[in-house]
Amino acid sequence: MNALAALTELSKLCAMPAVDASAVIYASGMHWASFIMWMPLISLVLCGICAVYKVRSKAPAIITVVCLATSFVLTILLWHNYQGPEVIHVFDWLNITWEEGSFVANFAFYVDSLTLLWMLFVTGLGTLIAIYASEYMEHDIGKGYTRFFAGVSVFLFAMTCLVMGDNLLMLYLGWEGVGFASYWLIGYFYQRPSAVAAAKKAFIVNRIGDVGLALAIYLIWTTFGTVQYDEITSVLETHQYSASFGGWSVQAIPYLLMLAAFGKSAQLPLYVWLPDAMEGPTPVSALIHAATMVTAGVYLIIRTYPLFMLEGSHALEVVAWVGGLTAFFAATMAMAQYDIKRIMAYSTVSQLGYMFLGLGVVTSYGAAYHVFTHAFFKAVLFLTCGAIMHGFAGQLDLRRLSGLRKMRGWKIVSYTMLVGCLCLAGFPFTSGYFSKDAILAEAFVTQGTGFEFLGWLAIFTAGLTAYYTFRVWFRVCAGPVHFEPGDELHGEEPSNFHPHAPRFAINFVLVVIALGALLAALPYFMPNETEGLHGGWIAEMVNDSPAAAGVPGAVLDSAHGVNIGHEVAHGDILGMDPHKAMYYISAIVGFIGIGIAFFIHLLSRPTADKLRSTMLSNKATRWLPTAMENKWYIDEFYIAVIRSPLWILGKIFSLFDRYFIDGALVNGIAAIPRVIARWFSPLHNGAIQSYAISMFGGALLIALLMLFMPEILAFMQTLSPDTANEQTIATLGGGK
Amino acid sequence: MSLWYLMLLPLVGAAAIFVGKSSVSKWIALGVSTVVFVISIVMAIQFAPIWGTSLDGFTSHVPWLNKLGVTLDLGVDSVAMMLVLLTTLLTPLCVLGSFSAITFRVKEYYAWLLILETAMVGVFAAQDIILFYVSFELTLVPMFFLIAIYGGKNRAHASIKFFIYTFTGSLFTLAGLLYVAWTYKETHLYDTWSFAIHDLAKFASTDLSATEQGWILLALLSGFAVKIPVFPVHTWLPLAHTEAPTAGSVILAGVLLKLGTFGVYRFVLPMVPEAVVAYAPMIAVLAIIGILYAALICWVQDDIKKLVAYSSVSHLGFCVLGLIALNPIGLEGAVLYMINHGLSTGALFFLIGMMYERYHSRDMNAIGGLAKTMPVWSFLMVFFVLASVGLPGLNGFVSEFMCLLGTFSASASNATWPGVLGPEYAAISAIGMVLAAMYLLIMVGKIVFGKVRIPENYEPHPTLPTDLSKREIGILVPLAALCLWIGVQPTVLTDAMQGSVEEVLSPYPAIVQQDVPTETQRIEVKDATDG
Repeated sequence: MNALAALTELSKLCAMPAVDASAVIYASGMHWASFIMWMPLISLVLCGICAVYKVRSKAPAIITVVCLATSFVLTILLWHNYQGPEVIHVFDWLNITWEEGSFVANFAFYVDSLTLLWMLFVTGLGTLIAIYASEYMEHDIGKGYTRFFAGVSVFLFAMTCLVMGDNLLMLYLGWEGVGFASYWLIGYFYQRPSAVAAAKKAFIVNRIGDVGLALAIYLIWTTFGTVQYDEITSVLETHQYSASFGGWSVQAIPYLLMLAAFGKSAQLPLYVWLPDAMEGPTPVSALIHAATMVTAGVYLIIRTYPLFMLEGSHALEVVAWVGGLTAFFAATMAMAQYDIKRIMAYSTVSQLGYMFLGLGVVTSYGAAYHVFTHAFFKAVLFLTCGAIMHGFAGQLDLRRLSGLRKMRGWKIVSYTMLVGCLCLAGFPFTSGYFSKDAILAEAFVTQGTGFEFLGWLAIFTAGLTAYYTFRVWFRVCAGPVHFEPGDELHGEEPSNFHPHAPRFAINFVLVVIALGALLAALPYFMPNETEGLHGGWIAEMVNDSPAAAGVPGAVLDSAHGVNIGHEVAHGDILGMDPHKAMYYISAIVGFIGIGIAFFIHLLSRPTADKLRSTMLSNKATRWLPTAMENKWYIDEFYIAVIRSPLWILGKIFSLFDRYFIDGALVNGIAAIPRVIARWFSPLHNGAIQSYAISMFGGALLIALLMLFMPEILAFMQTLSPDTANEQTIATLGGGK
Repeated sequence: MSLWYLMLLPLVGAAAIFVGKSSVSKWIALGVSTVVFVISIVMAIQFAPIWGTSLDGFTSHVPWLNKLGVTLDLGVDSVAMMLVLLTTLLTPLCVLGSFSAITFRVKEYYAWLLILETAMVGVFAAQDIILFYVSFELTLVPMFFLIAIYGGKNRAHASIKFFIYTFTGSLFTLAGLLYVAWTYKETHLYDTWSFAIHDLAKFASTDLSATEQGWILLALLSGFAVKIPVFPVHTWLPLAHTEAPTAGSVILAGVLLKLGTFGVYRFVLPMVPEAVVAYAPMIAVLAIIGILYAALICWVQDDIKKLVAYSSVSHLGFCVLGLIALNPIGLEGAVLYMINHGLSTGALFFLIGMMYERYHSRDMNAIGGLAKTMPVWSFLMVFFVLASVGLPGLNGFVSEFMCLLGTFSASASNATWPGVLGPEYAAISAIGMVLAAMYLLIMVGKIVFGKVRIPENYEPHPTLPTDLSKREIGILVPLAALCLWIGVQPTVLTDAMQGSVEEVLSPYPAIVQQDVPTETQRIEVKDATDG
């Protein structure tokens, strides 16, 4: 059975539940919720004031932490008071109405449990990472400290708009807003050319995705006449989720949305900006480029899931393939890097690939759960990398650091990193284990083109993940104590270097987030309130959203009581139930990965180097490590195929503009009078004889003309015998 | 209050400058232009009751050459009023921005600036074709002198080219307008001529044949397209911009380019609807070529001022698309674009001028890392670049979005506002959004960020501080505030222009439907909610 049939079946059965426009409450008493959005903005303004008065203290950090914490508390309150999807109107933004039709995109929130799920970890981790940064950035107090926290505030504001907006235009505002905040913060060290280049690259590559989003919005508006989520859903409901009503445009929408999502969430072919984005300060990498912003693409697709599941659409298959392939390729790149922060960056790309694979194989639950767990464990991994970088003067090379867990003051860093690594590697009973399994199993459950292959690829990738994750940990935290400082010494002598162990703020945040990463396994076991639902708390949160189709056991059409859980099309894996089998398979694969890493990166480190040099010296295998270390030459490919030709075209146009359009055409035409003047100017030579000759010649010419006028006119008549000419000739002739 | 105050006061000011000492001329200019601005604000408030309608406010009938039927009738609708406000806002800022830059022939300079203001207001407020044309051409004279006297090295060539190029184009415009007036007189067998814009537009749109309309479109556009400027008649602009003094560039980008788009709005769209429908795809293709072509040229520029000048060519392409999308969202976007481009590009030219005053160079390879030495300047530079790139929340986004949305939905299958463009036009021009981010951020990357680079022969300016002075900040802050305000509350402006826009568009749906058979495929939200 192919995916088409399965998805058709799914989309038919699930009349896209839960959100019924008429059921949406237009809340009146919930205006305080808008402060979730305003608090970061207030923080931005206060940071701006600090910048104007050149404040040289930790005030900006305190302001930001307080404001973000308030946002977090308000989010919890909103969650506490949540009773069903609501629209909270803040103010009119773009609200144009004419006789027939309108374009309405206001500042308004659409709050359903999906929004809340995202907002909870965005504001929560935002607060924690701001606390961490208050210590991490203290070298820059009086220099860029304020700028940094202002950037974090901008980011949180934009992210809030993105997640909470009730229409696609507000999502777009947040979408470009987080892109801009990312630009701001990647380029934080603005005197470093590589940071400036990375910031620029991030913004421009994201812009390509943004154009996709803009075009998707145009298409949605022309097809549905609205850009508000609840109205789009109600239009879809009226047409019973068949794609026939909008022709090609409805079919094209998901692909444009995909372009946007792949740009923001760093998927093939637009992932290239994310590894470079590591030029930013590490808290930024943790917050923006691991936990929150890069999951915006996943959010976008979950939010517009019904559009991907229309009858006859292959969109989800494409999502699955892109996700699966990205997960695999990024993992291979992560295996061959030496910079631990870059390893984490490629790992993020890879894990995001898993999330898209999850979306593609119709488990929005698995994708959302993986977003949630990944936010914690990847944040902790980045933050430990940051602590190491901070303590060892910028050293990030895993060959130059070893045995950290045995050093004084580095125990918390080492063990919180271990927690992160275990989760990322999918060690049994950690949060990452459950969330990844939810996706892997579903690849075998749902039927689609090549889904089984993707499932096996993803399992293999899980092994690679376990390997590269523990390659880092075994190299950096285990083994004999050894370190070399990096080059950011702040005046210290390299020979006399002492690592700066992190202090309270950093350690506190590491412990809290590491605990969060461990506890993120709990929602899996929480009992479900909704009848028939599996998957615990996350499933509850996703169930109350447009993406309920991807939640196990969701009752999708309350009117008909149809339950399309897994029973619709249940595949198997080696004859076993995929959900059960996956518990064992992924655990085994994880152990193998960790085992290999243990052997070649802890027990016998020279083996790894020998392996590499053997492969490099053998002609048949040389390409593999070379390609992996050079990131499969994708950047070079883009430069050669897109950037350089365009630049050359720009040069050509520039010359064309100067020499052809302006030079030949404009100046050429402008020169005509001058040239004509040149022909006649010899006549004005001052010699009376020549004037006499020309006078005579002129008189003769006129005389001849008058003499032969009728003949000339008659001749002209034969040339163009149309009425207008006849009239002219008649008048002229009459005049004579 | 009357529009005459706005036109005459600057002239009085110019006269006063000639009489007064040269040391006070800048203060006179500042005072007069500020008063004019205040008056225009008061007028805008008085205008409030008819914002959003298609009525003209402040109409005044003044006979001029009675025998010929030429009048000095003035009047503004909401769109014209907004552009008048843009003009009266930018003029005092330009005066303020010239305080330290203009050191010789000061009296003349400020006098020309004020005369220019009169001419610009005249273009927007004219209700009579002859008055419009006179004002339209009158803008050339002060601008010519501003470039020719106060410009850069190549100023003589630039000023002459600017003058002759735009003048030649607009002669055809005059011919086209006169032809309409002449046929109007002949058709109705009137004894005297009439040049009232409204009457002629109504007449031309209904009584002229499609062929005649086509020729008139060509004539009108040959003036307006040069002014906008549309590819391939844009080459005067980068030259004029690079050579013009700062205030000249600001006015040029801020207002003079809008004379072209305003001309399209006021004359082309209402007068020759059938020709517009017939030729819109061709114009759109030129606009799209302009967007992409100029954007790529921007990318390889070294001269920052030339870069911003070419970016105007690229940006105005979006505006043209909005104008010929023939639906309210596109047209409102286009009008908004005129204002937004005036604000953000005007501010960019101010910023470049401030940098040039200090470093005497505009070469992006020679100057860099100004974030370190000029943080305030850099902050504002990044702000206006983002406004120009179209970051949501700032003004540029709203208009660009609306123009493209208008273009996108302007297909023949659109039930309420069928158009002759469509998704493919919008999709191709949307590439311009990526390119805009590319060249502007590369510019920012070179000049604002990176290691500090300063030209070799740099000497600190005798009077100006390293970073911006309070006066300079005072010029930019109002512009920044407006950019932000329009970005957040665009509806105030779009509501205001609605009546005017709908009147301009009123003949179009019928004409397009006549020309192109339509299939109604669009879903109405109303049906959905009913069901």
